[in-house]
Amino acid sequence: MSTPMLQATDVRAGYGAEDILRGIGFELRAGEVLGVVGPNGSGKSTLLRALTGLIPLRAGSVLINGTNLSELGSRQRARLCAVQPQVEAPLFDYTVEEFVLLGRHPHRGPLTPPGTGDISAVKSALEHTDLENLGRRSIRSLSTGEWQRALLARALAQDAPLLLLDEPAAHLDPGHRHATHVLLQQLSRGKNLAVLCISHDLNLAAEFCDRMMILSHGEIRALGTPEDVMTEQLLQDVFRCSSLRLAANPFTGRPGTVFSP
Amino acid sequence: MKPAPRLAILGGATAALLVTAVCVGPTHLLDFSRLVELMMAGPSTPALEKTSIVLWELRLPRVLLAAAAGINLALGGILLQAIFRNPLAEPYLLGLSSGGALGAVAALAAGATAVVWPALAGSLLMACLVLLLCRRRIASDLPSLLLAGVALGALAQAFTTALILRFDPGALRSILFWLMGSFAGRGWSEVWLVAPGAVIGFFLVMILHRPLDLLALGSESAHHLGVRVLLLQTGGIALAAVLAALTVAACGTIGFVGLMAPHIARRLAGAPHAVSVPAAAMVGAMLTVGADLAARSLPAGTELPVGVITGALGCAFFLALLVQKR
Repeated sequence: MSTPMLQATDVRAGYGAEDILRGIGFELRAGEVLGVVGPNGSGKSTLLRALTGLIPLRAGSVLINGTNLSELGSRQRARLCAVQPQVEAPLFDYTVEEFVLLGRHPHRGPLTPPGTGDISAVKSALEHTDLENLGRRSIRSLSTGEWQRALLARALAQDAPLLLLDEPAAHLDPGHRHATHVLLQQLSRGKNLAVLCISHDLNLAAEFCDRMMILSHGEIRALGTPEDVMTEQLLQDVFRCSSLRLAANPFTGRPGTVFSP
Repeated sequence: MKPAPRLAILGGATAALLVTAVCVGPTHLLDFSRLVELMMAGPSTPALEKTSIVLWELRLPRVLLAAAAGINLALGGILLQAIFRNPLAEPYLLGLSSGGALGAVAALAAGATAVVWPALAGSLLMACLVLLLCRRRIASDLPSLLLAGVALGALAQAFTTALILRFDPGALRSILFWLMGSFAGRGWSEVWLVAPGAVIGFFLVMILHRPLDLLALGSESAHHLGVRVLLLQTGGIALAAVLAALTVAACGTIGFVGLMAPHIARRLAGAPHAVSVPAAAMVGAMLTVGADLAARSLPAGTELPVGVITGALGCAFFLALLVQKR
């Protein structure tokens, strides 16, 4: 079997004296979309920070494409792993094209102008995120949804085999939310990318992810196919919501949730 | 208009101002063919001709020093604004210039004549103090860190003032004039001190142009895109400190150029550092050379320190920014 693109083993991490994540272990392979869901404060964003070396691990290890995270140089890591952050507030104003081109940094020398590979990666990322007509617009003039797509476009332009996304569809309208998830699925299948996607939308995660991880209090409560993971009792328990009910998608048969009165 | 023609226009304007500053003064050098002849002849011949002396011993070093100082301060500003993710950061506001001034004045008070190394030590000490705070707070609370820099700068200024009072009245005026920033009476030795810093600093900042773009997005995003954030922050602050120290040692403290030049440059050329760094260097040179030209164009006996003029300009600039933000 091929080397997992991302492998976390018994990861413990946190801030100050407190451990936020405990005993996190999972694998993510090329061509697979893993959805990470869990209530607020369950450690989803901290997991992303630990997986990318933003906070040190207190125990355990993270391997990216078989190499320990601590042994990867920063540019080498950025060529392997692209991240779409949940929030970002750039200090200066750029055009959308200039902003997405910044995603090519790990592939470029310090003074080299953008090459044909960089320009085509930016063009493709803008097309994938439905931003091709906004390339010359100032990023400050974008709507929240457009801005979120620009962040995704920059991560796509990074052209890394591992994509980590922190709520990539949180501010999108239903059409773009659906399109984003379809895109992630297509990228994982067509380009053989490994995609880890943090989400609050259980239905979209169950619909488009190959596997799901449910985090609660910094620990993995369940990890498996949506059908295995999405059980009514577990979801009610984890999200502390007795009104949460399972209802399969009538078109695909995938599990989903609705609220009972 | 694309950035390249904008930079070309800015380059033309900078060159025109530099030539004007060389030509204009108590002794006007308006005969251009003679000026070119003197430039080609070099400083040694004809040694005793007045225009040659004015050109080679007074005007050229003064204008080149002013331009180099402006470039250094602008580079410091552009580095610190990206590192602190704050459009108000600059060497003067962050106390780097004040640290240099304290080092220089402390050396003068102790009887030393050379102030370069003490100024350098003062600026670097201030940078170290800021960095010590950085190591704990830089990722989480940059505005507080900037305030800490402002506070340390104020402390350095207080110590400087206390030291100045120890000088006799005769020395006091010249020290104060020096402290407020001036290019008067400087020669080639000061040019050779400041100009290499401007050239090397410019190339270093140009090499860092994209990491600075990424850092301005936020330290987490810069990390994800392959920037060694702490190294860039530490190195950038140290470079800004060295550039500020060289400038303070040669010309005294000149405030607000490091604040104004990057803002004006981004307006004129665009936000990416690939264009805003060269633009800021040119705008910085224009601000200091222009301020010096204004300072020495005043009636005889009323010449003002350059720092007073840049300070007044800075105040107007701050207010304009505030009005615009409303």
